[in-house]
Amino acid sequence: MARLQLKNVNKRWGSFVGVDNFDLDIADQEFLVLLGPSGCGKSTTMRMIAGLEDVTDGEIWLGDRVVNNLEPKDRDISMVFQSYGLYPNLSVYENIRFPLRVRKVPKEQHHEMVMKAIDMVELNDFMDRRPAELSGGQRQRVALGRAIVRKPTVFLMDEPLSNLDAKLRVSTRAQIKNLQSKLKTTTVYVTHDQIEAMTLADRVVVMNKGKIQQVGTPTDIYDNPANTFVASFIGSPAMNLVEGRLENGVFQGDGIRVEGLPAGSSGNVTLGFRAEDAEIVDGAGEISAPMYSIELLGEASMITWRLGGSLVSIKTNKEYRAEIGDTVNARIPAGICHLFDTASGERIAQ
Amino acid sequence: MSNLANKKPPSLVALSTVFVLFWLVVAAFPFLWTMWGSFKVEGDFFSRADWMNAITGPVTERQHGGPFTLDGYRGAWIEQEFWRAVLNTGIVVFFTVVISLTLGTLGGYALARSGFKYTFWLLMAALVFRAMPHVTLVSGYLLPFFQMNIWGYLPTTIIVLVAINQPFTLWMLHSFFLSIPKDLDEAAMVDGCTRFQAFRLAIIPVMWPGVVTTGLFSFLLAYNDFTVTSMLLTQENATMIPKINSFLGSTQEEGKVMYAVAAVVSAIVPLFVLILFFQRQIVSGLTAGAVKG
Repeated sequence: MARLQLKNVNKRWGSFVGVDNFDLDIADQEFLVLLGPSGCGKSTTMRMIAGLEDVTDGEIWLGDRVVNNLEPKDRDISMVFQSYGLYPNLSVYENIRFPLRVRKVPKEQHHEMVMKAIDMVELNDFMDRRPAELSGGQRQRVALGRAIVRKPTVFLMDEPLSNLDAKLRVSTRAQIKNLQSKLKTTTVYVTHDQIEAMTLADRVVVMNKGKIQQVGTPTDIYDNPANTFVASFIGSPAMNLVEGRLENGVFQGDGIRVEGLPAGSSGNVTLGFRAEDAEIVDGAGEISAPMYSIELLGEASMITWRLGGSLVSIKTNKEYRAEIGDTVNARIPAGICHLFDTASGERIAQ
Repeated sequence: MSNLANKKPPSLVALSTVFVLFWLVVAAFPFLWTMWGSFKVEGDFFSRADWMNAITGPVTERQHGGPFTLDGYRGAWIEQEFWRAVLNTGIVVFFTVVISLTLGTLGGYALARSGFKYTFWLLMAALVFRAMPHVTLVSGYLLPFFQMNIWGYLPTTIIVLVAINQPFTLWMLHSFFLSIPKDLDEAAMVDGCTRFQAFRLAIIPVMWPGVVTTGLFSFLLAYNDFTVTSMLLTQENATMIPKINSFLGSTQEEGKVMYAVAAVVSAIVPLFVLILFFQRQIVSGLTAGAVKG
């Protein structure tokens, strides 16, 4: 159990910046998710915490000590890898026992500890199998078991669900959440899947190009994205973003006009709103434009327009019918709108 | 196997069976011929009158009262002390394999795991040196070895053989290590291993087929080497291959050629045993894939 702090951590390879001034305080027992597209530096950050990658600049504190120069084995962390990293020549039981063996935990405790871990990841029926004889989900559970067996201070999970099929991903995700709440161990979890981030995290760190874009609770980053990158990355579908001009509280874009916005600022702005917040109307609306496409999602239908350069989608009930090319109107109250500066992408204070 | 695949015309089956049998005979014939002949005397095996004599052995029968004789073996092993050559070969081969595998696994692992660009050029350089004819290297060694007074000893030969062999073992083990995911090392290190422990406890157990296969190739190189051993070893330190060659070179003495034949057969037997023994690892090593996590 420990607090994990990253103080202005940088990673550079020559002139290439992998992680840029990463500064974060992770509380004891917190479940923190690092979220971002591939190559954004999230895995590098995690590998620096693990000690698999050197820190170019800055300090990593684990509990009350700086761990920058400690070997991975001396950091008292455990890690789950995307490709499992199991020992193919050892049985499930021996895989989970491996950390105890190399860390010289007294032999007579091994069996009890291993069995407890095996119980937690529900692998009792597969104890004597080799990793090659297991399915992907079972292998990842072995990796989880190996991570929890010796009760480390911090868990690191590097895209543990990426190699699993969609159905298994959901059940394993629930299992991870459950394990973490039982064990109460500080956890850092890396993923590029925003749904995983939303469902698992206490707090989410959204990263792009080596920089932190926003830190907050899942609700926070969903409701109040700090910039257009976060807005377009979080949510499914992502937030609609339309470029236009704001003057005297009126936003005017191609095929869209929203009134009643804060009058404080003016200029080129990007207007954002979520597909599920707006609604299709028969009468006049803020959007009035020919429909680009209609898709049936199952529980709802998705209407899409092409406004300016961007596609804008709104969810409506599944019985809604219209032909492509028909003019369709939608109501977009000012209250659901987010405003971003077009040039910088940053949120405009409202 | 589907039924369709099994349905081959009988003529094709017959043809391929005949071909395989023919190939087997062609492949095995020289060995079988030599083995059969090793129990004859020179007059039969190298008969100028009739090649059938090598099979029936009339001269052997006249000289020894039976169609087979152990004369060749007796002469080679006891009179000419072939056992000494076997012992020398054993020493040379053992140390060559052990040293080049030790250096090869450590070096191959380091090269496979270091992301630096020089790795490629190091391996290319190694390949160039491996491609050179051995004799070009050995002729250069001779003078310094004489001057340092280390010519003729087994350790000198072992070092030279290791040097010649190393590029190959390095290449081969390097590619085996590359096929093992890096996650395995990292998992081991996070689990509490030092770099070296990760190598020893997590990587090497997975690497066995690769190590065995590479070891076999080193073994064969050292075992079959003629250039290096014949030029660098004294008469009494000679290994099997130069020794056999020396039997062949002394045709003036009747019967000595048969020592060579008997010695050749003696030299082949261990190879059969070895291949049979390690057959499984070699196959899985050659087909790789076996090291997939």
